[in-house]
Amino acid sequence: MKQQQEIIESTLQFIQNQLSSEDDFNEQALQIFSYQYQHNLPYRTFCMQKGKTPRMVKTWRDIPAVPINAFKEVTLSCADPNEAAAVFMTSGTTKGIKGKHYHPILHIYNRSMTLNFKQRFMKDTEKIRMGVLFPTAKELPNSSLAHYLALGMKEFGTEDSHYLINDNGVDMDRLLEELSHSEETGEPYALVGASFSFVHMLEKLEGMGKTFSLPKGSKILDTGGFKNQSKELDLDEFYQLLSSILGVDRAECINMYGITELSTQFYDNGNTNVPSVKSGPHWIRTRVINPLTGEEVSKGERGVLVHCDLANFNSVTTILTEDVGIEVDCGFLLLGRVEGTQAKGCSIAVEEFLKATKEFPK
Amino acid sequence: MRETAGYLPDIGEEFEKKVLLFRDKEEVLEVEIPLLTEEQMDKVIQKVKKASAETLKSFSVMELVKIIDQVIDRLLDRNTSCRQKAEKLLPIVTGYSEELIRLGLTSYLKNFRKHELQRFLIEDLGNLSLLDEFQPRVKGGFSKAIGPDLITHIWSGNVPGLPLWSFISGLLVKAGNVGKVPSAEPLFAGWFARLLVEIEPRLSDCFAVVWWKGGNEERERSLFKQTDVVVGYGGNESLQSIQSRIPITTRFLPFGHKISFGVVSKSSLDSHKAWHSARQAALDVVRYDQQGCYSPHLFYVQNGGNISPREFARYMAHELDNFEKRFPRRSLSMEESASLASWRQREEMDIYSNPYKEVLGNAANDWTVVYEENDISFSPSCLNRMIRVIAFERIEDIIPSIAPNRSFLQTVGIATSPKELFHWAELLGKIGLTRITALGNMTSPEAGWHHDGRFNLLDLIHMVDIESSAEEESERFAPYVD
Repeated sequence: MKQQQEIIESTLQFIQNQLSSEDDFNEQALQIFSYQYQHNLPYRTFCMQKGKTPRMVKTWRDIPAVPINAFKEVTLSCADPNEAAAVFMTSGTTKGIKGKHYHPILHIYNRSMTLNFKQRFMKDTEKIRMGVLFPTAKELPNSSLAHYLALGMKEFGTEDSHYLINDNGVDMDRLLEELSHSEETGEPYALVGASFSFVHMLEKLEGMGKTFSLPKGSKILDTGGFKNQSKELDLDEFYQLLSSILGVDRAECINMYGITELSTQFYDNGNTNVPSVKSGPHWIRTRVINPLTGEEVSKGERGVLVHCDLANFNSVTTILTEDVGIEVDCGFLLLGRVEGTQAKGCSIAVEEFLKATKEFPK
Repeated sequence: MRETAGYLPDIGEEFEKKVLLFRDKEEVLEVEIPLLTEEQMDKVIQKVKKASAETLKSFSVMELVKIIDQVIDRLLDRNTSCRQKAEKLLPIVTGYSEELIRLGLTSYLKNFRKHELQRFLIEDLGNLSLLDEFQPRVKGGFSKAIGPDLITHIWSGNVPGLPLWSFISGLLVKAGNVGKVPSAEPLFAGWFARLLVEIEPRLSDCFAVVWWKGGNEERERSLFKQTDVVVGYGGNESLQSIQSRIPITTRFLPFGHKISFGVVSKSSLDSHKAWHSARQAALDVVRYDQQGCYSPHLFYVQNGGNISPREFARYMAHELDNFEKRFPRRSLSMEESASLASWRQREEMDIYSNPYKEVLGNAANDWTVVYEENDISFSPSCLNRMIRVIAFERIEDIIPSIAPNRSFLQTVGIATSPKELFHWAELLGKIGLTRITALGNMTSPEAGWHHDGRFNLLDLIHMVDIESSAEEESERFAPYVD
């Protein structure tokens, strides 16, 4: 497997090299494409069907984007999936089939995560006392988010950092202790975790009538949506509440956007205004396309996001998401996930059908 | 552009207005619709009920038929302003192409002309005067059909004109009608109401066409309490929630979302006739982009004809591509586009493990035909011109996979020989299909059809019998008795 080693090395080099140009990105993307075309059989079939062979593909924009659904149907891996160091899985769907993302090594994923996390969340801070509102990687071995948060805590958390989730959800006693501690000592605190856990936490704090004024340097990182959770908040309300209850400026409330099928995350520069502009590091690029034609929409128009992540050296670099967004200067606005559509007329919609067939066993 | 939707009898009050916005390409249409307070709604209900009892019930059925006939005449005439407005605004509201709306309206409205309405009546009642006065019965005695004082219609969906089925049925049984229009197509029912009043001003208080935000529990509870019959259209979930607000004394007629499909027999698959069938099948797909309850989700095509099912799928693809030029698909929302694209990609991906399968489509994703050989399972399409063609051997092979979906089944479009038609109809009827029609006719049911197997008028009325004993006995009390 000399080739894999070469790809890993060039990928690492690319990630380290802050000053890479458009041409460099292109070159690296095409190199990985031809590697994946060669070693990832289902992907090759997919590309051939689209008439896109390495000879036809001239820029990273031409690389066929694999719909995230494909991760459920086929094994997308250049290396033997049985020897993967980690398999990250998506949460279940209507059919209960999970998408699988194979990582033969975690080194690149981790490097991608830490470089980016440092730059976009930690900034000038080296270490911070952290509270994690998500289960541990041990509890959720196939969750990329659990791995991500564990890594964040290991690399950037002080020794007093803690998980704040127990069997009943948010460990309120521990959380209150931590928040008070930070308020009293003036030691900055970072709360990181799933957006919906924050919603639960806010509900409870509101119920108790507790507010805090965390010291300067404290920050918040939330990720994932919180729709269909106990309480539906809109984004603006969410950050307003976070900021007023914890006393952290909305500019220090960062939202991370990541999907299991990628190895790189996107961040915003705070949520003073929502929706905030998301962007990623130099080894990932995003296009906004019309899902019907696959062509890019003009800047400022709504479309579906396609990401080309060079840290995805083993699966496929280019992914067609189900997320709607708009390209803007310096990044994109994330407008949410494309949910199942309701029928407009009186014909049954797939969603309703699936639901009904589940409710009434045949 | 601005257009007013809805219709209300005069209760001497101003109404708050709500504006719904519609956009299609460059055109923007603002639809203004009255928003009633609960007190106003109550006043309207009282007014409609009173007018139904005093005015509507004084008309004979044939008088009402003639009034409706005149309204339909105007809507069919492409030179009238109302028809021109419909042709101009409905494409903006629904997104369907102008050509499709034009043809669709005509073929649909034809169902409600005088002769067809008489068919409605005779189909259900057997006697045109049964709603006017007591009619003698063969077994002795007399009977009269009485319509309710108030029918509430909860209409849904964006297939234009759909409210007419139940609205006209309500009028024919001389009921007061309150109809709630869907946000997806709020215009047509109001236009129809206003035309009725234009032609017969005495009807002005007999109905109301309104809108409120669905799921307004208190409003619906109060309305349903004052209603005799509620006719509801929509998904099972919303029907369920409507039902939960209807008192036991009010009759509820729910029309849920449905699945329809086609079956093509090998007997129709020779090289001359197959093209025609494929073309008709494609038309059923194109019309309203499969949004109707009668629109096909899939076609079962039998092996063994001159033309194979695989070839039939290709024929259909060809026809769909042709129709795209004349009847372009309505523009889809980002959500619909994405779900459609992902559906097609999943099908394409499935080819890896299923080499007999074929996915046909153009680059712009305007339509897709999926040909399936080994999997006869019955699954819905994501609509908007996505159709599955499934090869089968014997009708008995596919019946078991269709049967479990009984509560959702409605129309089957069929191309087969006469003998087989009745044989298949027998089998399909048994598992819950309620309408069997020719390919190309799936989206235009005949006048007087049994919607979801039910009756248009019979379900709305109740009968009053004068038993023969009462009649005979009454003779004893006649003033002229000897």
